[in-house]
Formats: sequence, C-alpha cells, structure tokens
Amino acid sequence: MTEKNIDRPNQLVDHGEEAHSFDGIQEYDNKLPNWWLWTFYLACLFSVGYWIHYHVLQTGLSSMEAYQLEMKEAKKAAEKREAKNPLTDALLLKLSKDPKIVAEGKTLFLKNGCVGCHKADAGGMIGPNLTDEYWLHGGKPTQIYHTIFNGVPLKGMPAQGKLLGRSRIQKLVAYLESIRNTHVKGGKAPQGKKEEG
Amino acid sequence: MSSTTKKPKALARRPDLETLYCINEDGSHNTIHPADVKGRFQRIKKITWTLLIAAYMILPWVKVGGNPAILVDLPNRHFFLFGKIFNAADFWLFFFILSGVGLFLFFLSATFGRVWCGYGCPQTVFLEGVYRRVERLIEGGASARDRLAKMPWNGEKIRKRFSKLGIYLVISLILSHTFLSYFIPVDVLQKAVTSSPAAHPAAFTFILLFTAIIFGNFTWFREQLCLIVCPYGRLQSALYDPDTIVVGYDRKRGEPRGRYNQSGEHGDCIDCYRCVAVCPTGIDIRNGTQMECVGCANCIDACDVVMDKVKKPHGLIRYDSENGFEGKKTRILRPRTILYMAIMALWLGAFMYAVFGHSPFDAELVRLRTDSVFTIDNGRIRNQFRLQLTNKLGNATQFEIKALEPETAQFVLSAKSVLLKSLESRNIPIFVFLPEKEYKPGTDVRLLVQSKAGKKMVQGRFLGPRK
Repeated sequence: MTEKNIDRPNQLVDHGEEAHSFDGIQEYDNKLPNWWLWTFYLACLFSVGYWIHYHVLQTGLSSMEAYQLEMKEAKKAAEKREAKNPLTDALLLKLSKDPKIVAEGKTLFLKNGCVGCHKADAGGMIGPNLTDEYWLHGGKPTQIYHTIFNGVPLKGMPAQGKLLGRSRIQKLVAYLESIRNTHVKGGKAPQGKKEEG
Repeated sequence: MSSTTKKPKALARRPDLETLYCINEDGSHNTIHPADVKGRFQRIKKITWTLLIAAYMILPWVKVGGNPAILVDLPNRHFFLFGKIFNAADFWLFFFILSGVGLFLFFLSATFGRVWCGYGCPQTVFLEGVYRRVERLIEGGASARDRLAKMPWNGEKIRKRFSKLGIYLVISLILSHTFLSYFIPVDVLQKAVTSSPAAHPAAFTFILLFTAIIFGNFTWFREQLCLIVCPYGRLQSALYDPDTIVVGYDRKRGEPRGRYNQSGEHGDCIDCYRCVAVCPTGIDIRNGTQMECVGCANCIDACDVVMDKVKKPHGLIRYDSENGFEGKKTRILRPRTILYMAIMALWLGAFMYAVFGHSPFDAELVRLRTDSVFTIDNGRIRNQFRLQLTNKLGNATQFEIKALEPETAQFVLSAKSVLLKSLESRNIPIFVFLPEKEYKPGTDVRLLVQSKAGKKMVQGRFLGPRK
C-alpha cells in the first residue's frame, strides 16, 4: 500500500504489507536482525537442555550437592595432609627449632592482635603470661595448639582456628615454644598449673 | 503516484521511517558505507575526540600522591581518585556518581539533544575517530569501499581487508589493555604482559574476551549498538520537547524540492542526497527527527558544502529546535530545564557535603564476640570491645586513643598510640572494668581517636546485670 503524505512529499512507502494503525500511531512488523534471532533460539535450546539436565533427569549436581561434594573432598585432602604430618608434640617442637618458622610465627603474633591481650613481649596483660611455666589450659605443644585453635570463649580468647588455619597456628605454637620460660620483665603474675617443659 | 526523483547510484535502497536501514528484509545486516564529509562540525569533533582519546590513554600512567590517578582495585576493594582513597565502606558515595551522571544526561538531552552521542560516546569516538579513519585510509572513499565489498575475493580485496583487520586487531589490543589498566596498575600490568599467561589466568582470559568484543564491535557491529542495543537513544523521545535543540532539516526553506536549474517555485533542497550518503546510521534527516539520528552533524556539514556550491546560505540542515524550524523562538530556559537545574543544584549540595564529610580514617567500636556480653569479676563488670581503625590517607599516620567515659571505669588498652600504614587496618582490643555499684543501665563507653588528620569519637553501650 503506498501512501502520499503532505509532510513527506517525495517519500514513497511501499512494503506490500499493512501497517497496524492505532489512532494514527503506526506499528510495523519488520524482521528482527538474524543475529538477534539466532542468539535467542540458541538461548532457548540451552535453557531446555539446562532444565532437563538439572531439574528433569537430575543428572546435574544441585548447589547443595556440589557444596557437600567439595567439603568432602576438602576433608579428605586435610586428612591426607594430617596423616603425612600428624600433629604431635614432637612435630611442634621440631618446628620451634626452625628459625624461619619461628620468625613467621612471631610476625603472626604481632600482626594478628595477640598483643592486644598478651602484650608484644607475651608478658600478658588481660591474657596470661606466655613466658612463664604456668599454664591455664595445658602447656604441652598440642594443648597450646588447641587453645589457640578453639579459643577460650568464656574468658574472652577468640578462636583463631577458622581465621588462621592449621599451618599458621603451628607457626604460632613454634614461636611460643621458642619464648617459653624466658620470663620477660614486667610480665603478669603466674596463673594456672606449673608445667616444666 | 510515481516519484519524479532519480534513484542515486550509490543507494539501491532508500531510508524510510518504517524500517531500520541497517537490517535487510531477510534479516541480514545491510552494511552502511557513509560518504566522507568535511566541515565545521567535523573539525570540532576531531578536536574533542583527540582530547578524549588522549585522556583515556594517558590517565592510567598518571600518579597522584604515589597512587594511580584513577584506579578501581577490585580484589582489595579500594578506589583511588586523584589522591583520595575510598574503601568498601565508602561505596555509598557511588550513588552520587550514578545519579549525577543520570541527571546531567537528562538535562543535556532535554536541552541540546544527543550531543553526547555525536561528540562524547566511546562508540562514536573510537569508531569514527579511529577505526573508520583506518578503513578510509586502506580501502578508500565510500564508493571505493562499496565496490570492494561487492568484489569477489581477489588479490586486492584479500590484501586490503587483511591489512585493515590486522591494524584493527592491534588497536583493539591497545584499547582492551588500556581499559584493564584502570583496574590493574600499569606497572603490574606491564609485568603481567611480559610474563606467561598461566601466571595471570583471569587477566589473560579477560583480555582475550574483551579484545574480541571490541574487535567485533568496531569492525562489524558498529551502528547496530546505537540503533538496537543502547537504551539512551530510545529515551530521547521521553526527554525532548519543542524547544530541544536537535539536528534537523528546515522544511519551510527546503520544500518543495527541485533540481538546481529547475524552473518554477521550489525550495533550497536540490535533492542531491548528500545528507543521506554521509549518514552513518542510514537515515534521511529530511524525514524529521528520528530515533536513529545520533546527532553526528555529518549531514549539516555535507549540506553546507552543497549550499556553497549553489550559492545559497548555510543552515538548510542545522542545529535548531522544532519551534526554531517553525520560525518561533527557542526557549532554553523553560520549566523543564529550570527544574532539572534545580534538582542538579540539590544534588551538588548533597554531594559536596558527603565528600567533605569523608573522613581520612575509619574508627568503629565493636563488641568482642564471646559467650557472654559481660562478666563479673571480683565485684567489677567487664565488657570487651574492639576498636577497628583504618587509615585511609595516602601515608602512614599515628593515632592516639583516649578513654573518656565512663569516668569511674578502668580501661585496659593494649596500645594507646598506634602507627598505621596507608590503607592499613587494625583491631585493638579494649577492656572496660566498671565497679558493680557504679553501673546503671544506659551507660555508654566513649573513646576519642585523634590524629594529625582529625579526630573522631567512638561510642558503644556498656552492658551489665539487670537491676
């Protein structure tokens, strides 16, 4: 259908199709670009495949299943690491003889906020003196490790296990073993049971 | 009624108001080869684009106060802006940037039409300012490019196309690396570029994808982004009014069209079709203001050149408002624009207040998480807090902590004076002991943090047993 329009004197409109006209507002039905159509079709195909894989046949892992699988694998990897290097007093004492590990442990002690309660020289202020022979929660290296890992919530010692992880706490324990029984000046009065070690 | 005008050779299909010129009837892409044009607005655009591209390429190398001038450090959640440092807690300020850009674009569009599109938008700046100029250099003018496109793949076509695409690839690589350097500092990026991709898999993958997108966009997608994807162009119909300045055709002066030496009364338009030939989005501006018109002003310059040749004045196609084309006066200041300016003034006030209130350091008092919120120890109630201190200045600063309230309490601070490096953050445990008889509900703990850059008061509630 060709139209003559006073506003567009030399303009011919000829598409061989009707324009839908709503009170003078015209709507045409032109072709969409091919790239648009094809990406749309592919997206539809993908969504059908996705739906079948995850929701119909359930051949895919749900988010919860994927998470549980990853946690299982992480636990297995941790157990393997633990089996290779079991956490014993002997291991921690060996680490405390390595000056590099002790230095890293000292950095952790200073940067991690331990000094807030135990003071920079570990003499203790709110927390106990770490340089004497008296231990509130056990003075064996593995006991010290667990105290740091789990914290003492009732007394205000935060649990560092999830924050720092296994290897960093080992380094901390190595550092503490290296300053054990050094009796810094001005340290807090003894608390707990006496343990030579 | 048949048309008396001859179809120009270069345009087999004519632009109309019912279709997008860049899409054919079968849905395939209709490549537009706009003709070359010289003129006043082309000169203004070239200067603008040179400045914008220079700024884009040079800014990543500029340092202010030891830090890059503009850097978005995503992994560490820091934003560096000409010496000022913002961290994640300041992200709310981004609201001002978004709303300010939006308000300003609305005001600009309502007043001056699509000047952003034609002069500022990266799509135009890089496409017209860089990529099309390379194309013109290698493949020649519009008719030569059109001829090359229709040629079979002979030696000339292979040579020209491959050299053009090779240069396009190099430009796309430069652009994508420059983009990345706003997120990774240039010196780090330099090391990444000269080392193995395996050392920086995320950055390498990003560069691959982004270069491909830039290359595809500026080689083929081109005007389809403006016409089909960009929402800004489609907003224009909601923002215009009869006083908005647009690129338009003076119908009163130009109609009825006639050939140059045609007898009888006719308007200044000689139907030479130059305005259509130079249009990068494939419209006929004589059909009126259209969604596709990006305000590039190519048609203005092209028509002025022809008007010179037929010894008629410039401006048959010009920047003017709908009222202006009808012979009425254009009002720049009108209720719409005044309202926009008032809102922007409010925005500016709020933004200035927010930016000047931006503190050079963060200090927060937070209760320490333990099994109980308070403990009683030898007749004293103990509360455990943590002072989170973050230094947001560009250099190391000393912070002094002073306990203020409650005055009858004993404060145990691990450190009363702390030295923090730039952007360093520390948690300082603070223990407050208050004798039981001094305690009453509603007691607050107050501390003052002082530094060379200013001071801040922090406070928290002291909790104790019910009385």
